[in-house]
Amino acid sequence: MRIAELELDLDVFSGPFDLLLTLVLREEVDLRELSLAEVVVSYIDHLEARGELELEATTEFIVLVAALLELKSRLLLPGEEGDELLELEPAEAAEELLARMLDARRYRSAAAHLAELLDLAPEVRYREAPLPPELRRIDLAEAPLGLWDPAILGRALAGLLVLPPRLDLSHVLVARVSVAERIALLRRLLRKAAELSFDEVVGGADRMTVAVTLFALLELYKRGELSWEQPESFGEITVRAVARAAPGGRR
Amino acid sequence: MSELARTVEALLFLSSEPVSAAELGEVTGASEESLEAALSELADAFAPGRRGLLLREVAGGYTLASDPLAEDAARELLGRPRHSALTPAQLETLAIVAYLQPVSRPELARIRGVNAESPVATLLDRGLISEGGRSEFGAVLYRTTPLFLKLFDLQALEDLPDPAQWDATPEEQRELRDRLLAAGDARAGVSAE
Repeated sequence: MRIAELELDLDVFSGPFDLLLTLVLREEVDLRELSLAEVVVSYIDHLEARGELELEATTEFIVLVAALLELKSRLLLPGEEGDELLELEPAEAAEELLARMLDARRYRSAAAHLAELLDLAPEVRYREAPLPPELRRIDLAEAPLGLWDPAILGRALAGLLVLPPRLDLSHVLVARVSVAERIALLRRLLRKAAELSFDEVVGGADRMTVAVTLFALLELYKRGELSWEQPESFGEITVRAVARAAPGGRR
Repeated sequence: MSELARTVEALLFLSSEPVSAAELGEVTGASEESLEAALSELADAFAPGRRGLLLREVAGGYTLASDPLAEDAARELLGRPRHSALTPAQLETLAIVAYLQPVSRPELARIRGVNAESPVATLLDRGLISEGGRSEFGAVLYRTTPLFLKLFDLQALEDLPDPAQWDATPEEQRELRDRLLAAGDARAGVSAE
């Protein structure tokens, strides 16, 4: 079905959707009194009744309703300056104009007063310390010509296009800790003792090692090789080996 | 002349802006009374007709100015008049800024009924107004500068007279309103036909 044929039964209008559109555009139906939510609800009812979603028709509907919404919001919001006067009743418009004219008159007179002051001011000059040279505006006419030599620009640009030499980082020792390494360590330790404290495992190690060891713990936990518990926040973490007998058997 | 008076004279010579009495006191460490005495000594020394300079009180401070006697020669020497003439639009804009500052350009345009862009640009260029801060809607706000006070020979903005004195009398307002309403009716009558 074409969207235009959607039958509507609204408070202010009843008939096909395309007729409503025409009337709104001709301003024969006041958009401000039209409940667009009602239109949308009608369409949703219609969709439900049909039991299928026609993508093209629905898209068209959304575009049209969005346009109507925008139109309506513009009607509802106060107009921009300039239109203001047009929407007022003649008497109000006259008052508004009068207020503006009186304002303008006040400052026109003030301007005349300033002109008088300027005339009456004694013909004295004050010291004008020049701005320091670095703050002065550069006058193009006085600027050294060489500044705009394209070759200078070219050279400046060329300098930017050269890749800087790679920094030699060989003297920086990168501490490397791998999860695999830490898994091996944990397995080794768990073979010796059935129960470990996490602090023992990482005793004195740097933060990176502690973090990677925690990843190793998680990995081993996931694989069902160990379990761990921490009775309270920031408390001791106890790691226990899980009997190998039932790998993945108990979850 | 006292040492303090000579010091103050030197400070005024060096400064390109008027220096307030408070500032003079602060940098010289002199008491209010001795500073007052020094300033009156200076005023005597620079009384009109004595020197090529005058001691003037303007824009909230003291400053040295050239004797009007030297104006013609000064114009020749410096190659320009004391100030360029201001157009009615520039004066009107300046008046609104002076009275309502800080004021934004949209506000200026609303009061004048026409765009204020060009006069604002000229006034900014001449250093009579400056940008200072933004309104709650983000529009640049304008204020007058010390140069404005100097040029119009004002001590402070408070020296400007109350603008309400130029407002229309109630009778004038009534007449204006009647004329406006008549014009409005005439227009409505035409469009209704």
